[in-house]
Amino acid sequence: MITNAILILLLPLFAFVVQIFIGKRLPRQGDWLPTGAIICSFLLALPIFFDALSNYEAGHVVVQQSWEWLRFGNLEITFGIYVDNLTSIMLIVVTLISSLVHIYSIGYMQGDERYSRYFAYLCLFSFAMLGLVLVDNFFGIYCFWELVGLGSYLLIGFWFEKKSASDASKKAFITNRVGDVGMFAGIMIIFSTLGVFGFTDVFTKIADGGLSGTMLTVTGILIFFGAIGKSAQFPLHVWLPDAMEGPTPVSALIHAATMVAAGVYMVGRTFVIYTEDALLFIAIIGTITAFMAATIAIVQKDIKRVLAYSTISQLGYMMVGLGTGGYTAGLFHLTTHAFFKALLFLGSGSVIHAVHSQDMDDMGGLRKKMPITFWTFLIGTLALSGVPPFSGFWSKDAILASALEFGMNHSAYMWIFVAMLLSAGITAFYMFRLIFMTFTGQAKDQKKFDHAHESPFTMTLPLVVLAVLSVGTIWWGWIEHLLAKPELATYATVAVGAVEHSAEHGNAHLAHTIALFSSIAVAGSGILLAAVVYHWKKISAEAWGSKLKPVYNLLWNKYYFDEMYEATVIRATLWKSRIFAAFDVKIIDGFVNGIATVTSKFASLQGAIDRVGVDGMVNGVARVVGVFSNRLRTIQTGKIQTYILMALFAVLILFVLQQF
Amino acid sequence: MNITLFDTIFYLLAFLTLGSAAIMVFSKNVIYSAVGLLFTFFGVAGIYVLLAADFVAVVQVLVYVGGILILLLFGVMLSNKITNIEITTETLHFLPASLVVIGIFVVLYRVFITTDWNPVGSYNFDPTTHEIGTLLMTDYLIPFEIASILLLGALIGAAYIARKD
Amino acid sequence: MALSDIIRDNINSLNYFLPELLLTGLVLLMIIADLLLKKERSPWMSIIALIGSGVVLFAIINQYELGSRSIFNNMLAVDEFSIFFKLLFLATTILVIFLSIASVELSGRSVGEYFTLLMILTLGLFLMASATHMITIFIAIELVSIISFALVTYLKTRRRSSEAGLKYAIYGAFSSGLMLYGISILYGLTGTLNIYEIGEVLAGRDTNSLALLISVLLIMAGFGYKIASVPFHFWSPDVYEGAPTPITAFLSIGPKAAGFAVIIRFFNVALSNYDGVAEQWLALSNINWPQIIAVIAAATMTLGNLVAIAQDNVKRLLAYSSIAHAGYALLGVVVLSSQGVYATLFYLVVYYFMNLGAFFVVIIFQDIIGSEKIDDFKGLASRAPIPAIAMGVFLFSLTGLPPTAGFIGKFYLFAALIKAGPEFYWLAIVGLLNSVVALYYYARILKAMFFDKISEGVSPEPLKISPYYVTLLAVLGIPTILVGLYWAPLANLASHSVHFLPTF
Repeated sequence: MITNAILILLLPLFAFVVQIFIGKRLPRQGDWLPTGAIICSFLLALPIFFDALSNYEAGHVVVQQSWEWLRFGNLEITFGIYVDNLTSIMLIVVTLISSLVHIYSIGYMQGDERYSRYFAYLCLFSFAMLGLVLVDNFFGIYCFWELVGLGSYLLIGFWFEKKSASDASKKAFITNRVGDVGMFAGIMIIFSTLGVFGFTDVFTKIADGGLSGTMLTVTGILIFFGAIGKSAQFPLHVWLPDAMEGPTPVSALIHAATMVAAGVYMVGRTFVIYTEDALLFIAIIGTITAFMAATIAIVQKDIKRVLAYSTISQLGYMMVGLGTGGYTAGLFHLTTHAFFKALLFLGSGSVIHAVHSQDMDDMGGLRKKMPITFWTFLIGTLALSGVPPFSGFWSKDAILASALEFGMNHSAYMWIFVAMLLSAGITAFYMFRLIFMTFTGQAKDQKKFDHAHESPFTMTLPLVVLAVLSVGTIWWGWIEHLLAKPELATYATVAVGAVEHSAEHGNAHLAHTIALFSSIAVAGSGILLAAVVYHWKKISAEAWGSKLKPVYNLLWNKYYFDEMYEATVIRATLWKSRIFAAFDVKIIDGFVNGIATVTSKFASLQGAIDRVGVDGMVNGVARVVGVFSNRLRTIQTGKIQTYILMALFAVLILFVLQQF
Repeated sequence: MNITLFDTIFYLLAFLTLGSAAIMVFSKNVIYSAVGLLFTFFGVAGIYVLLAADFVAVVQVLVYVGGILILLLFGVMLSNKITNIEITTETLHFLPASLVVIGIFVVLYRVFITTDWNPVGSYNFDPTTHEIGTLLMTDYLIPFEIASILLLGALIGAAYIARKD
Repeated sequence: MALSDIIRDNINSLNYFLPELLLTGLVLLMIIADLLLKKERSPWMSIIALIGSGVVLFAIINQYELGSRSIFNNMLAVDEFSIFFKLLFLATTILVIFLSIASVELSGRSVGEYFTLLMILTLGLFLMASATHMITIFIAIELVSIISFALVTYLKTRRRSSEAGLKYAIYGAFSSGLMLYGISILYGLTGTLNIYEIGEVLAGRDTNSLALLISVLLIMAGFGYKIASVPFHFWSPDVYEGAPTPITAFLSIGPKAAGFAVIIRFFNVALSNYDGVAEQWLALSNINWPQIIAVIAAATMTLGNLVAIAQDNVKRLLAYSSIAHAGYALLGVVVLSSQGVYATLFYLVVYYFMNLGAFFVVIIFQDIIGSEKIDDFKGLASRAPIPAIAMGVFLFSLTGLPPTAGFIGKFYLFAALIKAGPEFYWLAIVGLLNSVVALYYYARILKAMFFDKISEGVSPEPLKISPYYVTLLAVLGIPTILVGLYWAPLANLASHSVHFLPTF
């Protein structure tokens, strides 16, 4: 198992190194190498996964091994691999989706100028993500965290000739960095108070009271900052829609299964360190994100942007799941979402590939032209909308139940459940809006429609695979079972009191029942509304849009987040840098110029000093060393008598030196 | 100061050793140097006798005088026209070298007279050969064996260097 | 002790002496094999040497299981410290055998004596690493020296080679004389030659510090000669330049590391008291030897680096650089803590890779373009990219830039030095300044290879580098980078190897 885990990590790295250096010279520009490597990783992940499946009691650890990495005195940093149930699921998700994306890209990126480079980046990214999932300590997760950021930067800005793409990549990178600063601070607090990095060590020490109270809350929130950035949570979500500038398979990889999931994964991995207050904070952020993004998605015209906002919204769901104590629900949704969202992104890529446009106003009626894409896309949509028996239904239902249960226990936070329920309806609405606008009805742009065709095999195969995975109802129950919620008490070396199981069990059943029916109801009504508006056209979307102009504008402009940042943070930064620049120009340059003027005046007066003084200064030092060096060299005369004499003399000198 | 017979002999031997060593070093003729070396060895052997190290003294005479020196003389004499060519090296840095040597002498002299040495014991004029033999085979077995390896290696090296390829 | 006990101890020690016995057997086997295989330049001698080395390697590793022990009536010690060095020496020997097979300089010479002498030299290094008695120390040093003379002179028809050998021999005799004189003074002071007993006697009695000082200085002349530290370094540039390059590479690592083994053992055992709680040695009150070593280290670094600047010959430049590196490695000896010793051990291993690597690149270029001058290295990066890049890695590492092994090595040394307290801050600063100076002359080689245009009249055609060379370069180059990134196993080995008999 340990070999498997290491190979899973190293294969993509190896493929990346080979691909980046000699990829272009390999047959087929080397696309088979990263693809093969990641497929091998997937195959290697299977045994790990089945091991986890076959022993699915809570807290089962498949592999745990760590090596000392460096040591200075007492400070010892280890690096290791930790595979438990959560990791094994993540391994499957990441390797499987990454494999499919690799295969899909062979068709999608065909003929691109930097075809081989693309695969190298893709592989680097997969490596980083796998590392993030496998590593057993905070320090390591931070390293891979940044590596994931780097990979996404390279991939989003892959077509860097396009200004929008290079801007988007920068935006993604910088926005992520903002969150990472918080995460770094959190990790440093942990390290400076507890002195260890390893997850298990940290948890044990926290359970023993090494870090508690407000400080622990602050630490948890700081670490969560990292997730806010990476998982595109409010208010750092702005990078994700822009990141759609990258190639579509990249969007599928980054924004469905891997990078954005990293934040959720990290919260799941470190779940036990969050205090109640920190969890509440997570839940609230998640709710705002979920609701806000869902509403924005209603009005988007770009097919990928709709999916982007839906991703943000769904990530919000996961955070709510985790924040309201539904650890299983949140991570379960992460898993299901990864598959159906990858399906949706790849499906949209297939559409874009066919019509060469991302604007839904150019589409319509594509169902007949692209049957496979349509049917698989529909399955993905049903899953996302939460229609039984598709995968999204089970996980979203679990989150809603968790939110409701939380609301029942703390009635002040009942609004979280309400907002989530509402968002679920909106989700169903905008997804079917997308379906109707794209696949049904009349073609809006006849020329593009005529041109459209079904995508090649390498592109449809991943769609089918993902569609099957989005249906499989029975299978998902197993996954859910694997994700048992960890308790901090498990780590305590001294008993810290009985594990609080609370009397919530009664509520749990009730909450589940309510959530089940209400979620089916809102999903149904959302779909119905979408059909009324966009299929049967009983209600005019334009009319309502103009009637609610301010709301429409607010949504169309994504709540003015970009403008707000532009007006505040970016403006302030630019202003500051301008001041510094002015300072540079006026003061420093003036100073330097002044000195230079004085010096040259002085120098022109005294030519002799000029030679030695002004530009001779730097050379002078070198020359002194050189002269010294030459002097010393002459000691080495080649005459043995001299050597012996000098050695004896030196002994004498050393003796005399020691005497005084 | 009370000069005993022992002291007298010691100083004589010391004079013989140092004087012939000086001849060896400063002579420009190789044969003279070799003869100077011969007397140096003898002087040292004499001092060994004085120190009751009979075995070492005999070995000194046998190996150095009887072996090495004879070999050296053979080498010199068999070499073609060696006495005709100026093969002695020039004396370099005479003054600085003298100063350094004098400095070191002063230092050592001061050190020697101010130190309380750790004497091994009283004189004992018993024969030492038996004891040395035992020690070489027991306590000092390993240095003894390493020395044999050293000689083997030196032999191989010398044979290679001297050989005509 | 009764005579029978002594003999019994000798016999029991044989089991612990297996690597050395095997090596001796190998030497004898090689002499016979050379007789039988004579006439042609057959690869058999090197193959026998390599197989033999492999067997010895197993025997050494096996010693870890036997545990630490003093053998042959306290003449030698088998402990983690000596095993570490033996492994290092054997690795050096094996690599030098490979380098020698590749060397064009040596082709056409009789290889039988060459490899036989190399194995005897290795035996001498083994003994140096484990010697705990002044007699064994002396005789082991002599063994190494005398065999080295022969190997340096191996290209006997080349004037420079013979001259180097002769100089080496005279200088060696001189420093052995000084060392013997020092040892005799020490014997006079303590009445014993066993370094543990010397330590006990010196600690227990208020000895005349003047006599002790002069004896230590004189002994240091012998040790310093082995590690080529100032002021006993004079032989090294001439010898390094004149010797066949594989032997130069060997001399710059094997005997040097062995010298460090002897220095650390002698100074820490005979002239210090060990404080087990603080993991710290205390120098004896009547001699402040860390101060002496500190001065020597500073002088060694500075002189080595400064003179290296003025060199035009790469091999000679590397000779001076290896003098400077002895100075760096001495920093770890100065501080007297187990951390310092550990840093030195670590540095020696790192140095093994980067220095052998740099010399190997010189061998490659010397074989192909027939020159060791920096000027002739111009534009080599475009003609032979792989060796040039490898050279870049080795030189970066020698300078101590991250992310190479050299950086980590230097880091540990300076860290140990700074941790030892303000007493040695000046030394750390000297070391740091020296690293900057070193950057300058290493960069000169790189500049010539990567940025300068190919000289007029030299064809810009790519040079053919055989896969054998590339493999060897990889063997040396990959660890140089790898250790810079992940050094825990090596660090563990080094810290484990600080333990020597019987202070622990």
